[in-house]
Amino acid sequence: MTFVELLDSIKSKFQITGSKEDLGILNVEIDKSKIRDLLKYLKTELKFDYMFFTSALDWPANNNIETIYYLYSYETKTKIVVRVKLDRSKPEIETVCDIYRTAEWHERETAEMFGIKYVNHPDLRPLLTPDGLEGYPLRKDFKHDNMVKMPE
Amino acid sequence: METKMPIEIQSRDSDEYILNMGPQHPSTHGVLRLMLKMDGEVVKDVVPYLGYMHRGMEKMFENKKYEQIIPYTDRTDYLSVIPNNWVYCMAVEKLMGIQVPERAQYLRVIMAEINRIMSHLLWYASFGMDVGALTPIWYAFKEREELMSLMESASGARFLHNYFRFGGFKADIPKGFIDGVKKLLARIDDDVDEYEALLINNVILTNRTKGVAPISREKAIEYGLSGPSIRGSNTAIDVRKDEPYGVYPKFNFEIPVGKNGDTWDRCKVRMDEMRQSAAIIRQAIDALPAGDVMAKIPKIIKPAPGEVYTRVEGPRGDIGLYLVSDGTEKPYRIKMRKPSFSNISAIKELIVGYKVADVVAILGSLDVIIPEIDR
Repeated sequence: MTFVELLDSIKSKFQITGSKEDLGILNVEIDKSKIRDLLKYLKTELKFDYMFFTSALDWPANNNIETIYYLYSYETKTKIVVRVKLDRSKPEIETVCDIYRTAEWHERETAEMFGIKYVNHPDLRPLLTPDGLEGYPLRKDFKHDNMVKMPE
Repeated sequence: METKMPIEIQSRDSDEYILNMGPQHPSTHGVLRLMLKMDGEVVKDVVPYLGYMHRGMEKMFENKKYEQIIPYTDRTDYLSVIPNNWVYCMAVEKLMGIQVPERAQYLRVIMAEINRIMSHLLWYASFGMDVGALTPIWYAFKEREELMSLMESASGARFLHNYFRFGGFKADIPKGFIDGVKKLLARIDDDVDEYEALLINNVILTNRTKGVAPISREKAIEYGLSGPSIRGSNTAIDVRKDEPYGVYPKFNFEIPVGKNGDTWDRCKVRMDEMRQSAAIIRQAIDALPAGDVMAKIPKIIKPAPGEVYTRVEGPRGDIGLYLVSDGTEKPYRIKMRKPSFSNISAIKELIVGYKVADVVAILGSLDVIIPEIDR
């Protein structure tokens, strides 16, 4: 499937807020309320059956956190990236782990590292960080007593 | 801090109890903790606990220059060092538009396949020890010692090679390297046959592993499995064929698959992969061109702003690296997608309903390694 076909097929069903093509891969940006419908459509109609990972990027300059979902299709051998912008002071989004089972652990890790709350996730206990850690480590303004500047 | 236990025993009168397969255990391949809810000898529920080896690598990378990160990528998975170096170097080379010379591309393939054989040999030895066979380790480590000496002569270290650089290699391979590899290739097929007859076709192992924990193709794709764990379920998925990188399109090799998707098939696939790796190395040595091994790269590494995702086929599965660069000397975000993370998330599906002795065999057949899950 070429980009133009893929983009048109998505645009015909959903209202997207942006799209671009980056080094050969289509990036689609959508509002957070429609993410579950878009992923269900991508899985069942367009045969994107494999999710590589889901993670987040912190942009303090724009005051938002961007969540990305990287999908792949074993039948058509194409990739697609879905991006959602969330408000940095209160990031919340619905879970997609019943559509893609891989997302269960990836969302757990993103939640503890960035502070995103995934609504309806079955189990959001911290996965990798130690108990009792305050703050969200992968945000750009994370401070901890052990982070000491080394001499050059 | 109080956290609610995710496992509960239903009532006091039943025979259920909770067994802790703790972080200190010889068969969990690292520091993995499994809380098993058991009824007699049968497993009813499992909750894995991770994070004992979390080193904060992704946060650390945001403070380091690009060339300082290469040694850290070895230490994420100390058994598949070369594919981890390769996926990172490939990502930066793609963003900077660097072309790697031909000889370096062939050498990269040779090193990666040697590393695959080394990793599978260590898997063979430790899987044997997990199920109680203490002899295979002595056979497998004899080959592994010779391969490690070869890699030491080429890269300087037996184990954590730190070998690849952006644009190729720092120096060419030493004089006796190719002869050493040819000597080994002459006997590797017979040796793999012997190892297979010793452990994999042994009647005790086949009774223990045939029919245990099968997983179907659809479920495996949903959970995100990759590598030999999914190839055991009759699915021919391999990054070297789906999205070829380097000079892999020039070589002739097959992808071994299993039929039923159970534990024995996953083990047999790894033995066949060793034979295919030997075939690739033979073809690469015959076609190795002359030339230089390093491209011309700028002194200060500053990739253009943008994002890239690269994949390679490691011994455990599909390794991916997502790199976001903002035009400075340090990366903005690096996300490492490791195969064992997704492989072990299917543990509940595979273990529930089997006995505690099968838990060890199933974990061994998935071939997880904990440092790459925790990073």
